Amino acid sequence: MARRFRTKGDALVVTLEPTELELLRQLPPQLGTLLTEASDESGAKDPVVQRLFPRAYLDPTEEAAEVEWQALVHSDLVKERLAALELVTATLEHATERRGRFEVALTADETQAWLGVLNDARLALGIRLDVTEETDLEAVALDAPEASAYAIYGWLTYFQGELVEALLR
Amino acid sequence: MSGPSAPTLPVEVEEPVADEVVKTDRPWIVIVWNDPVNLMSYVVYVFQKLFGYSRQKATRLMMQVHQEGRAVVSGGTREKCESDVARLHGHGLWATMERES
Repeated sequence: MARRFRTKGDALVVTLEPTELELLRQLPPQLGTLLTEASDESGAKDPVVQRLFPRAYLDPTEEAAEVEWQALVHSDLVKERLAALELVTATLEHATERRGRFEVALTADETQAWLGVLNDARLALGIRLDVTEETDLEAVALDAPEASAYAIYGWLTYFQGELVEALLR
Repeated sequence: MSGPSAPTLPVEVEEPVADEVVKTDRPWIVIVWNDPVNLMSYVVYVFQKLFGYSRQKATRLMMQVHQEGRAVVSGGTREKCESDVARLHGHGLWATMERES
């Protein structure tokens, strides 16, 4: 297969298999639910939410500054992430079919939205699956209850890696 | 986590002036912590994008995070560091800030 991401004029064009397009379409609604719950009291205790929105100050004597900082930036950080989800959904709606595969042309802003959503999806899945640096995705048994989640995590890791490589080229 | 605190009325307090001067004199630093999910290439990309670092400097900082568990990636006033931390969080990196020791 040719490069996943290739530049065409000002755009970055990505080629997707139908199953991959479907997988990517499912990310924004799932992350959206998580983000809208992020400001709830119960949602804020979710380890995924805590990972996406960490503290700025570890020093407990800076608690007042922490609260002030959270009040200042939290809603903007949520809004930025929600905007990225919308942008990813919109670009996927414009996927064009070509010989059984799909192509999506991304502007620079849309590319950043994809990068952010892919990273957030991996962070969320990584926390849910308790991924560590020792986690060996190859070693997960095919019939393990979380095998499909590990497979999705593995594919997202590969796919985000390809996108970053394209951006660093 | 602490719960919501009750609103308090402003109270006149005599600040220890000398301490304040010493406190504000010390600059702040922003630390990025290692995590098992973020791709090494992605971390390099984010350091270049947010701070305008060269590929070489961004890679060196990423390797420091990876090998030592943390690296100081920027510093300055409290306001600047709060802004840098927010931008790093917006990109999914685990960042905190503290006074330079």
